[in-house]
Amino acid sequence: MPRPPLALRLGPIPRMRRPPPAIRPGPPLSPSSLSDSTLSTDGMASLQAKECEADGCCQEAKLQCPRCITLGIQGSYFCSQECFKKNWATHKLLHKKAKEQNNEEPNECAKDVNTDPWPGYRFTGTLRPYYPLTPLRLVPGDIQRPDYADHSRGMSESEQTLKGTSQIKILPPEDIEGMRVVCKLAREVLDIAALMVKPGITTEEIDHTVHLACTARKCYPSPLNYYNFPKSCCTSVNEVICHGIPDQRPLQDGDILNVDITVYHNGFHGDLNETFYVGEVDEGARKLVQTTYECLMQAIDSVKPGIRYRELGNIIQKHAQANCFSVVRSYCGHGIHRLFHTAPNVPHYAKNKAVGVMKPGHVFTIEPMICEGGWQDETWPDGWTAVTRDGKRSAQFEHTLLVTETGCEILTCRLDDKGDAHFISQT
Amino acid sequence: MDEPVQQDDDDCPELVPIENDKQIPVTIITGYLGAGKTTLLNFILSEQHNKRIAVILNEFGEGSALEKSLAVSQAGELYEEWLELRNGCLCCSVKDNGLKAIENLMEKKGKFDYILLETTGLADPGAVAAMFWVDADLGSDVYLDGIVTVIDAKYGLQHLKEEKPEGLVNEAARQIALADLAIVNKTDLVEQEALQELRDTVRSINGLVKILETQKSRVDLSEVLDLHSFDSKDSANLAEKLRLMKDSKPHLDKSILTVTFELDGNLSEDVLNIFVQNLLWEKMFHNKEGLPMTVIRLKGIVSLAGKAHQVMLQGVHELYELNELPQLWGDDPRINRLVFIGRNLDKDILQEQFTSTVVAQEKGA
Repeated sequence: MPRPPLALRLGPIPRMRRPPPAIRPGPPLSPSSLSDSTLSTDGMASLQAKECEADGCCQEAKLQCPRCITLGIQGSYFCSQECFKKNWATHKLLHKKAKEQNNEEPNECAKDVNTDPWPGYRFTGTLRPYYPLTPLRLVPGDIQRPDYADHSRGMSESEQTLKGTSQIKILPPEDIEGMRVVCKLAREVLDIAALMVKPGITTEEIDHTVHLACTARKCYPSPLNYYNFPKSCCTSVNEVICHGIPDQRPLQDGDILNVDITVYHNGFHGDLNETFYVGEVDEGARKLVQTTYECLMQAIDSVKPGIRYRELGNIIQKHAQANCFSVVRSYCGHGIHRLFHTAPNVPHYAKNKAVGVMKPGHVFTIEPMICEGGWQDETWPDGWTAVTRDGKRSAQFEHTLLVTETGCEILTCRLDDKGDAHFISQT
Repeated sequence: MDEPVQQDDDDCPELVPIENDKQIPVTIITGYLGAGKTTLLNFILSEQHNKRIAVILNEFGEGSALEKSLAVSQAGELYEEWLELRNGCLCCSVKDNGLKAIENLMEKKGKFDYILLETTGLADPGAVAAMFWVDADLGSDVYLDGIVTVIDAKYGLQHLKEEKPEGLVNEAARQIALADLAIVNKTDLVEQEALQELRDTVRSINGLVKILETQKSRVDLSEVLDLHSFDSKDSANLAEKLRLMKDSKPHLDKSILTVTFELDGNLSEDVLNIFVQNLLWEKMFHNKEGLPMTVIRLKGIVSLAGKAHQVMLQGVHELYELNELPQLWGDDPRINRLVFIGRNLDKDILQEQFTSTVVAQEKGA
């Protein structure tokens, strides 16, 4: 029976103009709640009554400061115009502070560098892109390429086929060996990148070195052309949560920088990342980076057969929250072997619905992103760079793990310095 | 969009009402070709003409589309909007692309009052539901309200009886298994007897679903919208339904069935989790013929040791969640009631497994 035309009958649908590429702010805000049980306390979050922010007033707040909305300041709830007026003298200082914060950082750059490629886009912090990027780097033809490398939109057919399944592969011994080799190579590349981190060097220069280090080891740099990502690694500075694109920006003294390396060798991917200090960093940065690393290591300590994947988020969030930090929710760890990203999905926040129980032979990453301020993220108009909505800093660490009969093996662990991350010796 | 900030920064502005509170319900409408889905959609739009309603036709396709159109009905007018499904890293992203696209659109153009998603007849409504059934703590604007299946009174039974080659699922049966509301449409075209047989068959597949009978898809909208089937707002209703539930007898061979049982006492949260995972993820339980039990929908209210509140258990395919309800047990007897809808279910085996593992742990608690 032929399908009747789908036109909804209330009237002709005026065809709208194709909208221009979107400037895409992310999902809106909502407070989080935590209790020790893994149960959700309510099916619908953010419906708790809000309290008036004025000093000494605990009335329920149903109104919000409009200037704060424009400036992206979270909260700012008041019960009445009177309460708001009384508090105005102190409250307006928040506006002043936010305006100053969002002014671009002073940074010397060449005359032809563009740090304002998206007119109208409101940056959440002081970081800016430094365009243009160098042209796409090539990989020698004798190096094995993943399927997406030559796809016009960087799509991975092999990943798409398995999209939505929650079956987790148990790797046979040959595959495990392949993973051991590629993870060791990925670690070598990260260690080389670590040596380069210092004030003045651009993230693109680090990317160039990473690219050469990969090809020298007969590896394809996995991020390159993955869904059209333009570079061979991700470099995430300060308020960038992840997927930062290496560009012409020189690192500054006081920055924190995450370099995320994934390499493809002999049909397998190996993935790891670390956050480094650039020059002298402040106390807040140290605390953030240290806590993030601990979150990862605590989660790894719990990995063994029988543990549910959803449990990892509880461990990570508990430790982050105890140090007054928040956990990014939009991005998660993932299964990795012949595919870059596959089942299981490993959220890092508490009370998640991840499907799956750990079994020997599973290989996956844990990569918590922890923030000084709120967890809400937003993506730059480049479609990749994820930043915190409040412009405060975020750190991350990642390992690729193999579940063994008794626990797990950190395939991407460092072989020198007692296996410590680089920042520990950078004091 | 930002208004130009002309006013003096020192001037105290007028407060505005807090906007972000409201979460928007998503209703999934499924059903066989020609059953009356589009008619239902039109009916909803015309009846609720003072609301801002988004209608998405045909669930989100596989990866390749960059954009998807949706229709928005407002004040009696219908216009088209675009959802941007630009990929970026959909790999390690927790939210589905389609969900993010809807949130982004609402952030730019304002919130809808309802979102209706009509799926194709072949789609698995469970997979579409999973897209919108996100963890509460993700702070999404959108929540999954319920699944509505429209059934053709005249051809419905025929669809359900259709023999599928081994391994292939009967979509019509699956649509009913997952439904929170079943609308039997075109009742004016069939005899009472045939209607009764259809009703019984639907009931045998899904013991929980509410069944409405209509002509030309005209329904009382309070029965279709704001179902709250996946959260705790409808829990009092659920508790009542569970109390009144009975097992169903199979009307069709190799069919989807509803199994229900109740047990007194407290359960251990950990062991309950393991039981549900063994059932849903590992598919560890088999019926008497050795076929694995496959649960499509799972709902229940349980009593956990150490918790004063009642706890709701919800599952769709492999996704499941335990949600603490506002209701306290108080002086009421702590009775656990569970409903399983799926294939190859055997009540005795299931109940025995459940009792021996979960309840036994809490002797004397």
